[in-house]
Amino acid sequence: MTDDSFPVLEVTDLRKAYPGVIALDGVSLSVRPHEVIGLAGENGAGKSTLLKALVGLVRPDAGTIAVRGRQVRIKGVADAAGHGIGMVFQEQSLVPNITAAENIVLGFEGAGVRRGIYRWKTLRQLAQVQLDKIGSRVDPMARTETLTFAERQMVEIAKVLAIEERTSTEPVILLDEPTSVLEPEEVETLFAQIQRLREHASVIFVSHRLEEVMRISDRVYVLRGGRVAGEVDPATADIAHLHELMIGTADSGNHYHDDLHSGAVAERTPRLVISGLTGEGFKDVSVSVGAGEIVGVAGVTGSGREALCRALFGAGIVTSGTVTVDGHRIDLSSPRAAVAAGIGYVPSERKVEGMVAALSVGRNVMLARTDLITHGPLIDRRREASLVDFWIERLHIRTPSRSTSIGQLSGGNQQKVVVARWLVGDDVKVLLLDHPTRGLDVGAKSEVYRLMRTLAATGVATVLLADSLDESIAMSDRVVVMYDGRVVADIPAPPGAKPAPVDIVREMV
Amino acid sequence: MQPGALGVEAGATAVRTPGRPALARGDLVQTLGPSAVLVVLVVVFGLASPQFRSMNNLHSMVDAAAVLAVVTVGITFVLLLGCIDLSATGVMAACSLTTSLLVANTRNALDLGVWGVVVTVLLGGVFGLLNGVISVRLKVPSFMATLGVSAIGIGVATVMFAGVQPGLVDPWVSGWATQRWFGFTQLAYLALGCIIIGWFVQRHTRLGRTAMAIGGAEDVLILSGVRVGPYKVAAFTVAGCCYGLAAAMATSQLGAGLVQAGGGYTFASITAAIVGGTLLSGGRGGVLHSMVGVLIVSVLANGLVLIGVSPYVQRGFQGLIVVIAVGGAAWPLRRRLVVVK
Amino acid sequence: MSQLSTTPAIPDLAPPADPAPRRRFRVQRSTLSGLAPLVAVLALGGALTVANPRFIDPRSLSALADSAAPLAMLAIGATVVVLCGGIDLSIGALASLSSVLLAMWIPTLGSAAIPAVVATAAAAGLLQGVLHVVFRIPSFVVTLGGMTIFSAIALVISDAGTVPVTDTSVTKWAFDRIGDYIPTSVILVLVVVTLVTVVLRVTPVGTWIAAIGYTEPAARLAGLPVYPVKVAAFTLSGTTAGLAAVLLVARTYAGNPTMADSLLLPAVAAIVVGGTAITGGHGGLWRTMAGAIIVTMLRVGLSVVGVPSAYESILYGVLVIGAVAMTIDRSKVGVIK
Repeated sequence: MTDDSFPVLEVTDLRKAYPGVIALDGVSLSVRPHEVIGLAGENGAGKSTLLKALVGLVRPDAGTIAVRGRQVRIKGVADAAGHGIGMVFQEQSLVPNITAAENIVLGFEGAGVRRGIYRWKTLRQLAQVQLDKIGSRVDPMARTETLTFAERQMVEIAKVLAIEERTSTEPVILLDEPTSVLEPEEVETLFAQIQRLREHASVIFVSHRLEEVMRISDRVYVLRGGRVAGEVDPATADIAHLHELMIGTADSGNHYHDDLHSGAVAERTPRLVISGLTGEGFKDVSVSVGAGEIVGVAGVTGSGREALCRALFGAGIVTSGTVTVDGHRIDLSSPRAAVAAGIGYVPSERKVEGMVAALSVGRNVMLARTDLITHGPLIDRRREASLVDFWIERLHIRTPSRSTSIGQLSGGNQQKVVVARWLVGDDVKVLLLDHPTRGLDVGAKSEVYRLMRTLAATGVATVLLADSLDESIAMSDRVVVMYDGRVVADIPAPPGAKPAPVDIVREMV
Repeated sequence: MQPGALGVEAGATAVRTPGRPALARGDLVQTLGPSAVLVVLVVVFGLASPQFRSMNNLHSMVDAAAVLAVVTVGITFVLLLGCIDLSATGVMAACSLTTSLLVANTRNALDLGVWGVVVTVLLGGVFGLLNGVISVRLKVPSFMATLGVSAIGIGVATVMFAGVQPGLVDPWVSGWATQRWFGFTQLAYLALGCIIIGWFVQRHTRLGRTAMAIGGAEDVLILSGVRVGPYKVAAFTVAGCCYGLAAAMATSQLGAGLVQAGGGYTFASITAAIVGGTLLSGGRGGVLHSMVGVLIVSVLANGLVLIGVSPYVQRGFQGLIVVIAVGGAAWPLRRRLVVVK
Repeated sequence: MSQLSTTPAIPDLAPPADPAPRRRFRVQRSTLSGLAPLVAVLALGGALTVANPRFIDPRSLSALADSAAPLAMLAIGATVVVLCGGIDLSIGALASLSSVLLAMWIPTLGSAAIPAVVATAAAAGLLQGVLHVVFRIPSFVVTLGGMTIFSAIALVISDAGTVPVTDTSVTKWAFDRIGDYIPTSVILVLVVVTLVTVVLRVTPVGTWIAAIGYTEPAARLAGLPVYPVKVAAFTLSGTTAGLAAVLLVARTYAGNPTMADSLLLPAVAAIVVGGTAITGGHGGLWRTMAGAIIVTMLRVGLSVVGVPSAYESILYGVLVIGAVAMTIDRSKVGVIK
């Protein structure tokens, strides 16, 4: 009945900016009925933001979204469902303690609930209709949390398919990294379902795993820097071409301050030695970082790199293995112990884990090292003032005074304060940087890079979890790649002989 | 940077949440655990005290449990949400005075009979509504809101009491505590009726299922376009109605309207619910679970008295039980539960 | 020790491209809310004087301060717990228990009974703090449980009755006057508040508590001793409950297992009315003192206006709800149940 060449979804010049970051910089794409569109791109390329804009979690600043030729303004998830767009979330979005059937028809029980009373048989039937569309044998009356992960994913898909009942059109289903935590057999099942989905709907499939994207999609869009870098036909193109589109040519200029690089990497005394570390999210990790070295850890969602970083700071769960700093084994039970051992950590969630927004700049700077400004139990206010002022000046932290509340500073300056926290003692041995330039504008990023270089020059061993592959490769002396909790590659990246991003990406997926 | 959907940041480590086997095991403990405890208690006390084993004792134990049961049915709805309700004592105080002043009594000429009880239940509902609105609209944490409302309730009761105790004269209401069918007072049957209705609402109506879902994953519901606010307020209101009914029942037992009518019920009902498996974190347990808890608390109270333990110790016991139960539930999760306020 | 002279040379960074932070010319919210309790005290004082000109009389003011003293003392430790983001619901029951212990121990210990009781109360607070921290039990559950346990113990050991004080000379100093008008109870409260405030200000502990109350994850990841600080807060709360008991026993010449139970709500009211946010971080001890005065004045005001004391409870309930609603930190609201 529908003209199969008329797009069911058309996105034109979509834009979305956050403070300091342009997430979508004019994205245009179209989806035709019964098509599976693949979406590829690095972290930060804009894939997540695009999906969120389509499903109503985020309002675009400019550009249009048209569903079957009609422009729409999507106000929220329920509204998006009304237009036929639904998303299967990366982190499952089911209510665990109710039945699968209730989850599938959540919010739109219709005949399943009459006058406030649940009609379980009808609910079951309604849910079964959706489950049949993907040939799933999940028991609709099972309590959702008793289902296996893969079964829950099927319930999620069924839930999204239920949109069909609410609109007269066929839905557009967005799948955000559906395979990242699936076993190979489960991936096959999912793919079979997607094929069945075609009959009822159109699909946008996002994944880091390029082979999968190529396999399942009719067409693939590659995003880079918030724009569509290219459109690819999987039948004719190859992965290398995809890689090229994803990475592009990195023009960093002196963005990364290569001139400040400390020099030869060989013969550095190891400062941080991780041996056989196993814990929640990572297995048997053995890495060493030398004095003055910056080791980047790359990996996709689920690789375990964030968990590893937190565990090194005593904020994760470790079951076996050891970590030594300058030869001394350290206690991984709490951040307090890590700080005492000379480790500093700059968390990725600045607002919740990095700074205390209501306290002053000065207090935030000295938060971890009050031992430096106390005589016995008493604070020496003068020393505190001079030490804080010193670092505010050194790092060019733009703030009216040291008593200004840190919440009033710009993101870049806030981040500098958090970093300064670990510098005040001049004795930090290891620095763990978790997405240190996230949310910062170009200028602020450049400053942070410069800071990293100078710190490395003083002998600090740095572990860097970078926002993008570019950053990782440019800043690191070595790139350690993690996949599924294990270290799978350790690639040297000396200045002048940097690896191509393709080489890293290959290991990441 | 970019706000994550459901609070998950892009790049967060995805972890597979456990599936069938792990949960089935945990489930089993949670559902059967309290029942097992109940059986053990009955056996222990049965062996320790011959009086415990008597039919007479069973009757009086059930009668004593009746009011607690009704209060606990009410508080279960709030607990399912993941909130707490500390207002039972205060609401019951106000409602006890209301009952005793509306039905035939020694202080005024009113004789509203069943309508007096209806008004009382409605008044309880109004208090519950207040709890809900303050928690949901004013965003005051539920423990604070309900603490405040409890104080208001006590105050209202004290004002109504005005120094002169209203004695209960109404034969029907008085009869609840004295008329017996098959050995149990009418209170017990009232409680049973309340339990059945409460169970039905919780398991088979929108209010109950939504309350359960709110406790399980409120953010998911909001995303799915469900307006959770009204349901939360409704849950508090239902609880208030139960407190109103319980107050009428307590008044019948006491034979008068008293400000202390609700004394101890807040804590006892919370203890009962938690011990029965309706966790403070919400989304778990339910009316039937809570009733097992009520039986446990009642058997414990009854048994302890029979073996000569001071009744004051009981309250302390309840406190101990709650702390142990909550601590025990959190122990396996302690490395994950890093920030607890 | 920092050696500024040998700091590794971090070359002066080039002036950054980002703009200077926005200047806030309007008065900080914190300053405004800081003045509010003071304004309220003055306004209430004025209103009461209008209703009854003898209110300003030094004797009457002294009586007011004296009657506010036990409440204020109780609220001191509880304020610190709230600043850390928790709540202590057991303070009333603990003070009641302490009053019984004091009356019971005076015959055998004489004056030493006072430090003994305060130490016991402190230990009780410590225990609650440890349970909260080690077993991850929410503070309101632990202290709710504590409340019933302390109450039960008090009822049992006193046989549910009043325990008279055999030697009133032991406690006389806590219910006396210096000169004609300055109650010793008030002095004691002021001493304790000053001591605690000074300690919080001249040591890092004040900053630690604020950080923990405002943004506990960040405090933890900065390596702060979060658990010890929280345990210390609960211990302090227990201590002030013990001290409050001393004040109460001094004026009633007896210990009673339920004497301080009804002080819980007014104490909480004092804390929130003074402007300390229930969400943690924001607030302070002197604010609570102002809050205690306000709460006491409102109570006095009720009787001056001729409202029966039965309405007190309603007053406290409304006060608590209103004050919390106004001071709550909305940015944390998503997390609150």
